[in-house]
Amino acid sequence: MSLDVAIAPPHPGRWRRLLGSDYFILLISALYFLALAPFIPGFATPENLRNLLANSLPLLVVAAGQTVVLIAGGIDLSVTAIMAATSVQGALVMQRMPNHGLLATVTGVAAMLGIGAVVGGGNGMAITRLRMPPFIVTLTAMMFFSGFAVWVTQSQKINGLPEDFNNLGGKLPFTLAASLLAVGLLGWLLRRSLFGAWLYAVGHNPRTARVSGVPVDGVLVGAYVLSGLGAALASVLLTGQGETGDPVLGRYLLLDVIGASVIGGASFFGGRGNVLSTAAGVLFIKLIDNSLGLLGSSHFTIMMVKGCLILAAALADSLRHRLVAAN
Amino acid sequence: MIEFQGVAKSYDGIRALGPISFALRPGTILGLIGENGAGKSTLMNLLAATVQPDAGQMLLGGQRYAPREPGAALNQGVALIHQELNLFPNLSIAENLFLTRFPRHWCPPFIQRHALQAEARELLAEVGLDLDPGTLVEQLSPGESQLVEIARALGAAPRLILFDEATTSLGTREAERLFQLVEKLRQQGISMIYVSHTLADVRRLCDDLVVLRDGLVVGQGPVAEFSLPRMISLMVGRQLDQLYPTRTGEPQTDLVLEVRGISQPGVMRNISFQLRRGEILGLAGLLGAGRSELARVLFGLERPSSGEIRLDGIPLPPGQVRQRIQRGMAFLTEDRRTDGLCLNASLTDNLGLVVLPQYASGNTGRIDRTSLQGAITTVREAVRLSAKAADRQPARTLSGGNQQKVVLGKWLLARPRVLILDEPTRGIDVGAKFEIYRLIQAVADQGAGVLLISSEMEELLGLCDRILVLSRGEITDTLARDEFDQSRILRSALAHTLTA
Amino acid sequence: MNPPGSRLVRLALNQASVLLFALVFAGFGVLAPRFLTLVNFSHILLQSAPTLIVAVGLTFVLLTGGVDLSVGAIMFVGAALTGRVVLGGAGPLAGLALMLLAGAMVGLGNGILVTRCRLLPFVVTLAVLSIGRGFGLWLTETRAINLPPEFLQFGAARVAGVPVPVLLALGVLTLAALILAQTAFGRQLYAVGHNAEAARRAGINSRRILLVAYTLCGLCAGLGGFVSLSQLGAVSPKFGENYEFKGIAAAVLGGTSLYGGRGRIFPGAFLGATLIQAVENGLVILNTDPYLYPLITSAIIFLAVLVDTTRARLLASRNRRVILIPTAQPE
Repeated sequence: MSLDVAIAPPHPGRWRRLLGSDYFILLISALYFLALAPFIPGFATPENLRNLLANSLPLLVVAAGQTVVLIAGGIDLSVTAIMAATSVQGALVMQRMPNHGLLATVTGVAAMLGIGAVVGGGNGMAITRLRMPPFIVTLTAMMFFSGFAVWVTQSQKINGLPEDFNNLGGKLPFTLAASLLAVGLLGWLLRRSLFGAWLYAVGHNPRTARVSGVPVDGVLVGAYVLSGLGAALASVLLTGQGETGDPVLGRYLLLDVIGASVIGGASFFGGRGNVLSTAAGVLFIKLIDNSLGLLGSSHFTIMMVKGCLILAAALADSLRHRLVAAN
Repeated sequence: MIEFQGVAKSYDGIRALGPISFALRPGTILGLIGENGAGKSTLMNLLAATVQPDAGQMLLGGQRYAPREPGAALNQGVALIHQELNLFPNLSIAENLFLTRFPRHWCPPFIQRHALQAEARELLAEVGLDLDPGTLVEQLSPGESQLVEIARALGAAPRLILFDEATTSLGTREAERLFQLVEKLRQQGISMIYVSHTLADVRRLCDDLVVLRDGLVVGQGPVAEFSLPRMISLMVGRQLDQLYPTRTGEPQTDLVLEVRGISQPGVMRNISFQLRRGEILGLAGLLGAGRSELARVLFGLERPSSGEIRLDGIPLPPGQVRQRIQRGMAFLTEDRRTDGLCLNASLTDNLGLVVLPQYASGNTGRIDRTSLQGAITTVREAVRLSAKAADRQPARTLSGGNQQKVVLGKWLLARPRVLILDEPTRGIDVGAKFEIYRLIQAVADQGAGVLLISSEMEELLGLCDRILVLSRGEITDTLARDEFDQSRILRSALAHTLTA
Repeated sequence: MNPPGSRLVRLALNQASVLLFALVFAGFGVLAPRFLTLVNFSHILLQSAPTLIVAVGLTFVLLTGGVDLSVGAIMFVGAALTGRVVLGGAGPLAGLALMLLAGAMVGLGNGILVTRCRLLPFVVTLAVLSIGRGFGLWLTETRAINLPPEFLQFGAARVAGVPVPVLLALGVLTLAALILAQTAFGRQLYAVGHNAEAARRAGINSRRILLVAYTLCGLCAGLGGFVSLSQLGAVSPKFGENYEFKGIAAAVLGGTSLYGGRGRIFPGAFLGATLIQAVENGLVILNTDPYLYPLITSAIIFLAVLVDTTRARLLASRNRRVILIPTAQPE
């Protein structure tokens, strides 16, 4: 405790507010960017920033969905598998459409979102109706649907997707519009709507929520559907970006998804988290990815650094909460 | 036995206790009373070493007593029986008793099961329990668990036992058994500190009394010097003219709730009663008589196997909590921490939880925060929530009395026509109790029907217009106000035990 | 009071995992007679040895209410280190010692982060998973390392006709079961898993218990990695991948609760690990499309957990407190 006193700043009140605020990670990201910008060639160029944005958006969409589930006190490990399964199923649907017009794209996107929602709903039903633990339900869903994606394609990628579809993920304005629309809607739901208020209540204490007339099961299913939808939309964007239906799409993304939500302050015990903070977490993770990539680091270095940074973020989070509580 | 010399403790710069000084004579029982937040729990935690004092010192048997952790306190002969049960349901009785000091072999260091069983049996015999020590604790009743917890304390050969609200989870007969045990322990020369809100028990059991208020000792001496009114006025710090507010309204003639032949296999049989508007109907019975179960069925949290519930003459479908709330039912549950509050959510979010749908737009589900906040502010004032409590403060940080006001407030916001209250004043200090009684009467006076479940006989007699007695899942008696009689209620509550 | 047959139903519910196990074996036995042979059983046991050992370690951590996602990465790091020293001329025993040491160290690190820094086990071990896999890839330069034949000989060796990996697995299993059921540490672990704060108040050193649990889990991962290495004879970049999920699935299949405080090594973890392997083995014998394995395995795990949750719910409602006096019951 003497250490805490030694580093206590002259204005504890202002410091405390900053430490405890949702923008803490945003600040850290900004500092990181400013500190490294002079040393990494090509880091602060408009082109790179465009790249950074384009790479962040799909992650943001999945992580926002994951945040909804975390707020409800659950966890969704199946998001990456949903991404892979929707990617190949959507690609197959579009491939079989006679012409590659707008109709094919619309059908493909609708099919992908539909699958995401159905798988999410299935997770939710298993958790609420069958009362199974979320960890196991979504873990088996992950194993099943990632296996399914590989089985359907016999581990082959699917090429030849409609151009309109590829534009969704490949052209930044489209990607930006689609993601911001989705994330903005989610943010509105959490902050302003009845569903959002119920979601936080369920996350805080499902028993109290039930006695108070909250349709707990419905809210939980809704949360998993939203998470499935988020994963499916991210899959639309990434599939378009890569212009292929990829059976192992999002394979290494789970760490980033959970990391972004947790760095953003969502809690595994439910009741905490919001879309803006998650966006800050996504930005932080992608900044690291991007800067290390520019430095020419190999992917295993990035893995190690990212792991360390997530640990550091978790440590900083626990430390600042203790500081805020102790002051 | 134990002596406090200027002991003080603060949390986050706020003084919770002291400086206090008093002593406990060896082989006696000291009653410790005070409102919630008066510092009783802090004092107990200091003794059990779950927290450390900031100033002053404690002497145990003349020696300086400064344990650093719960284990050390136990080793020096100070054992705490908690308010909440602290046993491990996934372990056997014997394992719970010897968790930190298993008898074991030298090599390999395995537990000596035979010795464990035998020693456990001895300890159980001391508290008068005849159970197989291999039984899992999850199979025990609350009363049996409490006795096992005492046996665990006895196993450490204690010189001082601390009871913190030991009877809250016990029924009348189980509490009686506990009192006999306490008496027996005193005869063995063990000193005890007994903390309770049930003042009658304190008077009956204790030799000396210490009254705490705002962290300070405001009265101490032999218990005989304290009458009940004096205890209360010392605790509250002001004169309370009476325990129950004067009732202004009275029951009306029209029915609001009608219950016809509710049964649930193994739990309740053929329960029928009527609740009129403006009536406060008491539900008496022993712990485990099925009162809370009945409340849960009425509120739609459980489904009955047969029977009908009518609200304003229209039947309620089984198992529909939301519909019941929409039609004006409200239910304050037995345990505010597990299903009354969202402890980590803010006060505002807790108060608004029930009425959220009323403030949401039908099409988009957008919540009108401004109107909702207005309603919340009004109800905050109505329940006289402490002015110190900020709107964004987590409910967890409030005192028990204020927490209960929040729960009551969230239901009052919904303007209930039928209010079911399950032990609304459990673990709440005297001042807050009075205000909750006032609120209950106000609800009735405004024309709602109130169903009040309580284990405190005084409370039922003081508040109700009529009392139903439940015994082992059946209604055995109904008393109108002019028939109120403690011994008759108790006889009816014990009906099945007496005849069996 | 008990309706007829109720004891039978209760028995069936209590032994659900054993029943499922028998059902899977019977099913494959009918489809492929070769499945139900002693040779094949020993084959299944041999193949499941690494999973068994890892699942035992995970059971310790799951019992505390935590989780360890880093076991697969621990296996990989240990194997990569071993690969490096063995190529430098060290023998298999040095490799074994190194793997155990690496496992215990990483486990201890997890434990310290969870207890001292009060971080969530899920976050800690997920980060360590990433760090460990990255580190292992760096060590192996993302290439496969082929080990000298002594290693394979170790994996294929037999003592009294029983393969050494199976002996090791059964030894670990027995030891862990004894520790959990018959030592003070084991019983205190259950207490901590049920409620760490109450355990602390009861005078148990919860932190030390957690620390030991994570260290044991890391140690088991190291040993499991060694056994797997001795069976494969090579360290590929995918070595140990998904063992965390296999291990957790095995423990949970055997009835261990993710909420802590409930679960056993025997028959729980043992049945779980062999069941997972038996399914794969059966599918191989039936010549199924290999791409279908994960689908069928995950479906069976889902089913098993479903049966287990339903069982717990049914048992809870059957054991519900009876308030009414039963003799006067009209029904």
